This record gives sequence, structure tokens and C-alpha cells, in this order.
Amino acid sequence: MIAALKGFAERFLGRGDATITVPSFDGALKPNQILEKAETIAQFDAPEDLATDGKVLYLADGATILRLDGAAATEVRRFDRVITALCCLPDGGIAVALDGREVQVFATPSASLVTATVSDPSFNAINALAPGPPGTLVATDGSTARPYPQWAHDLMERGRTGRVLSIDVASGRVRTIASGLHYAFGVCAAGDSLLVSESWRHRIIGIAPDGSQRSVLDNLPVYPSRLSPAASGGFWLTAFAARTQLIEFVLRENAYRRRMMNEIDPAYWIAPKLKSGQSFLEPMQGAHIKTMGVVKPWAPPRSYGLVIRLNAEGMPLYALHSRVDGVNHGVVAAVELDGSLYALAKGPGRLLRTVLTAAEQELRI
Amino acid sequence: MSDIILALRNATKLYAGVPAIENVDFELRRGEIHALVGENGAGKSTLTKVMAGVVSLTSGTMQVNGADVAPRTPLEARYLGIAMVFQENSLVPTMTVAQNLFLGQERFYNRLRGIYIAAQQFLQSLNFDVTPTATVELLGAAKKQMVEIARAVLHEAKVIIFDEPTATLTPEEKKYFFDLVRDLKRRGVSIVFISHALEEALILADRITILRDGKHVVTDDAAKFDRARIVQAMVGRDLSNTLYGTRKTTVRAAGARVLTVQNLKMAPMVRNNSLSVFAGQITGVFGLVGAGRTETFKVVAGVLKRDFFHGGEVILHDQPVRYRVPAPAVRAGIAYVTEDRKVEGFFETMSVARNIYLGLLAKLPGGRFFLSGREADKVGKTWVEKLRVRTTGNAMKVVELSGGNQQKVVIAKSLVQEPDLIIFDEPTRGVDVGAIVEIHELIQRLADEGKAVVVISSYLPEIMALSDRILVSRQGKVVEEFSALEATEEKIMYAAVH
Repeated sequence: MIAALKGFAERFLGRGDATITVPSFDGALKPNQILEKAETIAQFDAPEDLATDGKVLYLADGATILRLDGAAATEVRRFDRVITALCCLPDGGIAVALDGREVQVFATPSASLVTATVSDPSFNAINALAPGPPGTLVATDGSTARPYPQWAHDLMERGRTGRVLSIDVASGRVRTIASGLHYAFGVCAAGDSLLVSESWRHRIIGIAPDGSQRSVLDNLPVYPSRLSPAASGGFWLTAFAARTQLIEFVLRENAYRRRMMNEIDPAYWIAPKLKSGQSFLEPMQGAHIKTMGVVKPWAPPRSYGLVIRLNAEGMPLYALHSRVDGVNHGVVAAVELDGSLYALAKGPGRLLRTVLTAAEQELRI
Repeated sequence: MSDIILALRNATKLYAGVPAIENVDFELRRGEIHALVGENGAGKSTLTKVMAGVVSLTSGTMQVNGADVAPRTPLEARYLGIAMVFQENSLVPTMTVAQNLFLGQERFYNRLRGIYIAAQQFLQSLNFDVTPTATVELLGAAKKQMVEIARAVLHEAKVIIFDEPTATLTPEEKKYFFDLVRDLKRRGVSIVFISHALEEALILADRITILRDGKHVVTDDAAKFDRARIVQAMVGRDLSNTLYGTRKTTVRAAGARVLTVQNLKMAPMVRNNSLSVFAGQITGVFGLVGAGRTETFKVVAGVLKRDFFHGGEVILHDQPVRYRVPAPAVRAGIAYVTEDRKVEGFFETMSVARNIYLGLLAKLPGGRFFLSGREADKVGKTWVEKLRVRTTGNAMKVVELSGGNQQKVVIAKSLVQEPDLIIFDEPTRGVDVGAIVEIHELIQRLADEGKAVVVISSYLPEIMALSDRILVSRQGKVVEEFSALEATEEKIMYAAVH
């Protein structure tokens, strides 16, 4: 009863859990247009993930793994299902997640035979893979309720069924390291711990070997996604959309959200998107305000592009942006190779390249 | 008849020996709209107050229609045909519009109905849509301003001075106000208006005068100005021989995020304001009057309350906080060093030591039942030495200190609380040059020690000299962030007025 009254009061006053606020992009997250100005290496139909062994860049595009030499893409192998995660292993092998439900490991990217196949029945939305302790992989399973392509459904249902899994490649044994996460989307080893993106809670958590969790980077203004190591220590964190007060508001309006999910085409939901501005049917895109007799466009952003450079402790150092008026949105993966950062903007399907010395010079770092 | 209706020659006004305006020449033509533009403290308000008889010149002359005058009161200025409309309007809120219009012109026998009829006719003649029987406190900002303008016209003012007339108006009301001003111009009234919004000056004014640090910089036709030229004239100081002469070549890296303000609202001053403050850095906050800087940080420190409904969030060390009074904020490690030390900073008749000791007591939950004079002396002595406060002893009263040393006492009162987040609001206002250097060194030292430091200042060179990152505030929210390495005075001012 008291909880119900408290909930009502909070909703009425806009306080506590009903506070609809988002942090600003400032400090290390100060906006720029570096990602928007980045060189477009190539465009793909359904790019999903990037991986590198330190020499070559691999890209998962639909059901194929491509090897990239400059702008030239060579097909390495093809599967019968779409790839939802990709990672290179320290021993020269490569691991892929297929349709979020199966993980396959190959001794080399072009090896004809599969080394190991792990298809645990609990796998549902494997969306990131990373090398773990020798002989193991760590994976994030975004949601046990919704398949990977339905991540927006999971957000709108306020899903909290994300998991971090340890996969023993040889035996195929799967161990749950963490569960009950608000959409786990990205994992990377940090010493003997793991860093994990928890998208719907807008944070990065650290998971110690004993399974204890701590918040490393909290209250981000974006939905974080995959992580990868940076060459000079630290990490690259991608974010596929920015938080807005509008979406935060919708997330607190249960009846409205249920009705929206039942009646509206998911393409036009008030929800984060990987790209936006494609249709006048999209909510709020045509909004404007009139100031001093001048009509000024105004709309909360629905898609955004961001890559954040983190130091070894997980604190942000700087960020590369493609802002609301840009197109390089929906960044889901970034890897560093030969002094350049390669980022995958899933919204427009672009592989982008930014020379890091130039970017850091522009940011005066 | 001369084209010049009002002129000031070599106008100088000193406050306690410090010039607010110095040798300023100003001419207002008949029937022109003249904009006065400048930073905070540039001398705009002082200049207009001289014209309106609110303050008198220390030296120099003022002429109306070619004759030397020296109005000593607003009433004398009104007899000369000069009226001023203040930013905080001067109407009596509990009286009706008509009563306010005729205030000061009452006759021995006032027939209320007669006043209302006269007011109605007069307001109609001006095409002002205001009901004369309405109580002023129930009117919106724009209508209050209309009443002020009507009163000025009723008094047959030939010169009307507006101080930030559009600051509290909505866009629609602004448009209406501009029409009113143009209409007044057609009636032959000369207008002087102060504005921080450069667009307004460029759109509305016939001529623009720019002041900087109390001195006249330039007067020219508005058509010959553009935004860049105005900003350049507003900030174009030569600092090479001052303590602000050197530019920063390095900035401190940000530490952990100490404070996050998210969508904070405190009507009408703070509007959806969001910002972060990091440990080990000095975050400078710049903005012009009405930018909501002080109010934002007063909400953080529990001095002011945010809006009751949907007032936004203040997050300290990743925990949402809401302080209704300053005491819990102090205990949580927030220190706010006020901009108005005489009113909010100290008890002037108490000793230096006791004032500093009060800061310590404020941090203790529930205060302390027994107070120790010995402890007060010890704490006072420690901090007097640390901050090099120049006193004749611990027992010296704060009122007997110089401005700079008073400010050091206020700072010591906060630092004794060992805060993590220290907010300096105009830390060197009214402080001598020697003390400015010492206070700046202290602020730098605090950041070097890993504290999160916020410096709110209206003086651009100070912001640039101190800050590692600079937040620019305008109309109640932070609109731009600069690293100290990329910031220039022009960029900051452009963001503050755009």
C-alpha cells in the first residue's frame, strides 16, 4: 500500500523512479563530428560485427564473414544463418554466433571444418563474443525473452533477462557468470575481470572472477553496446543510440507502451533507432517551434552514433560522435587496427575509418 | 533645435573609488532607438541610471536639449522628460493598472471611476490591450511592461530607457514589444535599451553603443554592425600586461564524475539545465545576467529549491540528492562560496576565528551543544595562516578586513568543511589585485589536490585563466562547452549571446 502511494506520488511529482531526466554529453563525451566526418571504407547490406587479429579486419555481414583489405572485401566463409557476433581468438581462430542461438569456433578464419559447435538450448540472443581464459569464450546473451533482432521489444518490455556466459570451447559446457542484466550487449576482458555493457541501465559493469559485480561507468547518456580493447591500453565502447527524455517518458508509461506495441508498426515506435529521419511517419521528426517569427526544426534524436575511448579503469577519455543531423548512426562495433579506428555504423550499413592521431589532434588530446 | 535630445560628456561615476563608467561620451538622437551593449559590469546600467537620475555623476556633464542638467532623483529626471523601465518593474503589485498609471499624480479628491475611464482611453490611444481595472500582480510580464511603458508615455517622457526589457518575455510577447517600441519611435520618443540579446539590438536599434569595462568602445549605425563585430568590440581587451595575460597550454584531465545535473528546472531562471562536474578539474561557468548559473548551483547546494513538479535531478557521486536546506549539502561535501559575501558570506561583527569556526559547526550534524572558544581560535589560526588572511589577530572582526581578506575568510569557512565539491561564485568580485592572485592560486591548488572545483564568473579573462573546461550558460541552461585549450573570448561570448 505504502509502495503504491509512493509510486503514485513519485509519478505525480516527477521524482524518484519517475524522474524523467537524461545526463548531458559533456566532459569526455563532449560532442564533435569526428565520426560523421570519418572515411567510409565500404557499405554493406547487413553488417553486424567487427573483429581483428591485429593484422586483418574481419566483418560479419548477414550470413557471411568478410576479410577486408582496404575497401576490398573478400568472402571468407558463409553460413546458413545470420551472424550476430564475431571475435578473433588469440590462437588465430575465429568464433561466430549464429542467429544468437549457436556459437561456432574455427581454427582459422578460412578453416574448412568447424572446431567446436556450442548450441546450448538457453542461448537466445548472443550478441557479443570475446576471448576468455585459455580455452574459453565469454559471451553476452542480450535477452532470454526476445531474439536479437527484437532488441527494441526487449527495451519496451523493460527486459532484464540478459546474461554473461562462459563457454568452454572443448567441452561445450556453458556457465552463467551473471544474469538478470538489463540487456547485456558487449563484453571484454579487463585483466582477470570482465567489462560488460548493460544497455538498458546505461552502464558498464565490472565482473570479478568471483562473480561480484560493480558499476564501472554509470548513468551514460547513451545505450552502450560492444567493447573492444584499445592498442595503448583501455577500451573502445560503442553506443547505438542516445537516450532522450521522450523515450525515458515512454518507458515509464506502461499502458501507453503496451498499446503502442500492440497497435503500431515497430518501425514507428517511440524507441531508439539505428537510423532515423527516413519517413514523415516517424514520431516527432516533423516537430518545430516558432521563435521570433522563425520556424526552427526541433526533434528529439531517435538515432545517434558514438564511440567512447575508455582508459584501463573504464573512465571515458574522449568520444567520437555522429550527431543528430548526421547519418553514421547505430554504431554497434569498433576495433582498433594499425593506428586507425574502424567503426561499424549499422544504421547506414557503413564501415568507417578514423585515423586516431588526427582525431586526437583535433580533440587536442 | 538640435538633433541631440540627450548627451553625456566625459561621464564618470565612481563607486568607492572604483569607476563603474569612465569618461564615457554618449549621444541620443531625437526619435531614435539606441541599443547599449556590453558584458556584465561593462557599465550599461550605471550609464542609464545616470540618465534616469537614480545615481549622480562623479564628474562629467549631462545635457538635455542642449542645456546642462544634473537630475538627482528619478522625479527630477521625469520632469526633464526621461523615464526608465527597470528589469524588475517598479509597479505596485496590489494596485490596479489605472492606479499604477496615475500613481504620484493623485489629486486632492480622486474619483476611482474617473481614473479608470482616463486610463482606458489612454491605453486605447496607445493600442495597449490591458484592462485598467486589473490588479497588476495578476498580469503577465509583457502586460506589466506595457503598463510601465504607458506610465512613461503618460508622463510625457521624451526619452524612455529600458533595462533588459525582453529578458522575461516569451517570443510572442517580444514581437509585440518590438512593435510597441517602433510605435513609440513614430511618436517621436527616443529609446535607449540595454540588451544581452544581440539579435534584438541588430533588429530593433538605429544605433548601437558598446561599452567595455566602464569605457566607451564604439557607437555606430546598427546597419554597420554584425554579430561578429559586436562580439569583438565587447571582448577585445589587451590583457598582455595583466595577470590574465598568459594563456593555458595544458589542462587537467578529468577525474571521476562528482556532480551531474540533469534537466534541472527552477522557473523562471533555470530551464532544463544539464551539466557534469569532474574531480581534479576546474569547471568554469560563464554567462550573462539571467543565464541561471548562480541559481543552478544554489539548487545543488540546497540554498534554493528546484521546481516542485518535474524539477529534474541532481546526482552527487552517482546518488540522486535533493537538499531542502544547505546543511545536508555541506555534510555531503558541497561547499558554496557565495557571490554576495556581505549578505550571505559572514557575520561581519564576529571575529575572523569565530566565522571560520561557524563553517566547521555547520558540518556537524545537529551542531554542537558546547562551543569551544579554544577550538575556534585554533581552527581560525590554522586557516588564517593557510590562506594568508591579513589580520591583526584572531579576534579581529571581519568587517575590519579588506575585501580580499573578507573573501578569504568566506573561502576558509567553506574549506574548513573539507568539501569534495567547491563552488566559487564570483570569487574575486570586489577584491584587490593582490588578493585575486592569491585566491586564484588557492583555487588551482584545490583542483591539483583532486577536488572538483566550479568557478562561476562574469569576467571572461578570469574564466579563461582559471578553467580547465568552460561551460557557457544562456537563458537558464548550459549551451556550450569548451576546453580551455580551444576557448577564445570571442567563442565564449558568441555562445553566451547567440
